[in-house]
Amino acid sequence: MGVSKKISLTVFGLIMAAGALMWLIQLWRGLILTDMNNAYSWGLYVSALAFFVGNAAGGLVLSSMIYLFGVTALKPFARIGALCAFANVAAAMLIVLPDLGRPFRVLNLLLHPQIMSPLVWDVIVLNLYAGLSLIYLYLLMLPDLAARTGILKKITLPVKDPAGFSDTWARRLAPFSLVAAVGIHVVTAWIFATQGARGWWHTAVMAPDFVAAALASGTAVVMLVAVLCYGTADKFQSAFRIMAIFIATAFFIHIFLMYNDFVIHAWYGTDHARETLAITLQEYGLAHAFEVLAPLAGVVLLLNARVRKTMSGIMAGCLLIIAGIFIHRILLMPAAFNQMPLTLAPLGSQHTLWSVPIASGRYAPPAETFVSHHSYFPTLVEILIFAGVLSFVCALILVAVHQLPVVKEG
Amino acid sequence: MRRGMVIDLEKCIGCRSCAVACKQHNAQPAGSWWNRVVTPGSDRHLTASTPQNLYFLPIHCQHCNNAPCVKVCPVGATYQTDDGTVLIDFERCIGCRYCMAACPYGVRQFNWESSKDGMQRYEYQNNYTYGYPEPFRLDNRLVYSPVRSKGVVEKCHFCAHYQAQGLDPACVRACPGKARHVGDLDDPDSRVSQMIRQMNGFTLLPEKGTRPNVYYLPPKRKEV
Repeated sequence: MGVSKKISLTVFGLIMAAGALMWLIQLWRGLILTDMNNAYSWGLYVSALAFFVGNAAGGLVLSSMIYLFGVTALKPFARIGALCAFANVAAAMLIVLPDLGRPFRVLNLLLHPQIMSPLVWDVIVLNLYAGLSLIYLYLLMLPDLAARTGILKKITLPVKDPAGFSDTWARRLAPFSLVAAVGIHVVTAWIFATQGARGWWHTAVMAPDFVAAALASGTAVVMLVAVLCYGTADKFQSAFRIMAIFIATAFFIHIFLMYNDFVIHAWYGTDHARETLAITLQEYGLAHAFEVLAPLAGVVLLLNARVRKTMSGIMAGCLLIIAGIFIHRILLMPAAFNQMPLTLAPLGSQHTLWSVPIASGRYAPPAETFVSHHSYFPTLVEILIFAGVLSFVCALILVAVHQLPVVKEG
Repeated sequence: MRRGMVIDLEKCIGCRSCAVACKQHNAQPAGSWWNRVVTPGSDRHLTASTPQNLYFLPIHCQHCNNAPCVKVCPVGATYQTDDGTVLIDFERCIGCRYCMAACPYGVRQFNWESSKDGMQRYEYQNNYTYGYPEPFRLDNRLVYSPVRSKGVVEKCHFCAHYQAQGLDPACVRACPGKARHVGDLDDPDSRVSQMIRQMNGFTLLPEKGTRPNVYYLPPKRKEV
């Protein structure tokens, strides 16, 4: 392992340790250490769940493109795809734990699952997908595992033709991987979209939009790791071109679905729809501009063949797309929670929309006991816990690339 | 038997005795309010900022028949009894707060910290205690406890502990305006059913399809 890798790993380790420490303190003191309250009851942690689930889409893109649609140019990156999928889906499950008030009771999900809850469906598909990604990674690495020593040699399946076996089973599993991968995005979107109480979420466009955004950011994650591992040599240019076109297509479908929804709601103009749109487009106008313009800039960069020949160009493009989709996930919350579902037109002033305030549940001397608006911003505890899980993803990928035959030499 | 409540807004004087009785009887942690009374149109607590007719609206768990909170709960901690009451098992809740996102009425309260820390933060005097002193279990599920632990969600439980003793909920007994009534909504001859029928009873947010078991009677006269 080179010096730069060691330094990176140390930094990731330190951030993970800081995140773990913050979680311990949060376990001791309670979720009072976050900036959430009774009216604004989900924040960075749940946004991060959606973010990581989306990033896990890359594995699907690679495996189904290679084995279902025959795009063999992407084959060198197949292992990276499976690895990124596993790392991100593991992070998605990890980031839910600090959001729970009683994380030690998480076993209740196994003891008393309530099958009507979309959260139970999500736990099932996320675990399935994590398992499938690991099996996929193993299968793809199989031809190179026998040459290794120690534990890697011991876990190698004794088959006559490892390369053929790997290829056959990767092809057979590809349809299941496709279904499971689409499943994690659709079910995660359903957690929100089923909620009739929240106008911002309650739209049939959320699940397809979730898939589109995930295909953009998930592929960008794989492309980022691929360029870091393999560089920008000529033999990879066709793979980068295919991925860039795929990311661009997914991103434009996402933008189309999002604004399609906005236009329909804005045109009819119910009070609730106007309020949610005003929150997203005015109060969070800068964030909204970023969620659209940053990935757009990233797509423009990646679509340029000259940019794709430079490491920094590809990295910048991918990071802009990932950052934009992250802000998109953050914006799941403000318009959902700052538009009170219970509003009244007071008798005698029928044309005003009055939000019924909710007891905030937390004491702050200058603030009201009952609130109908909260400018949520994550606390240092929330940010460090999120950063810890993000570092976990980076460290896991870094260690796996170093220890396992993920990157083919030569 | 479907246990329901009727709140007569004509009789409500906006005194908030129900909210206070509820908070005290149910030992609600500092900052938590299962029951609140709002003045539609007001900026703060009592007066409306624009010229309009004033009335008061008490809001707590609506004990919906099609309860989104029951459907989203991944572990069945929030559940519905045979008489339609929505309860929370304090020992099973994992604190994911999905129910709080799902509830359109904003009645669910989370314990962001331990009761003790909360009391200190709110500067309650030392050793000040309040609330029904015994834990209450229904079918071996802990639906009321005088001491709350952090990290679980709570809300109005229709005073399940008092119902077991044949008593009405604290808010009903404490209401000086006699605005609150409980009874069987399945029985067309019950007092509550008659009131809803004869006095144009309505529910909150009927468009959400939650079919609440709490009904309101419209105010006839308003203060201007």
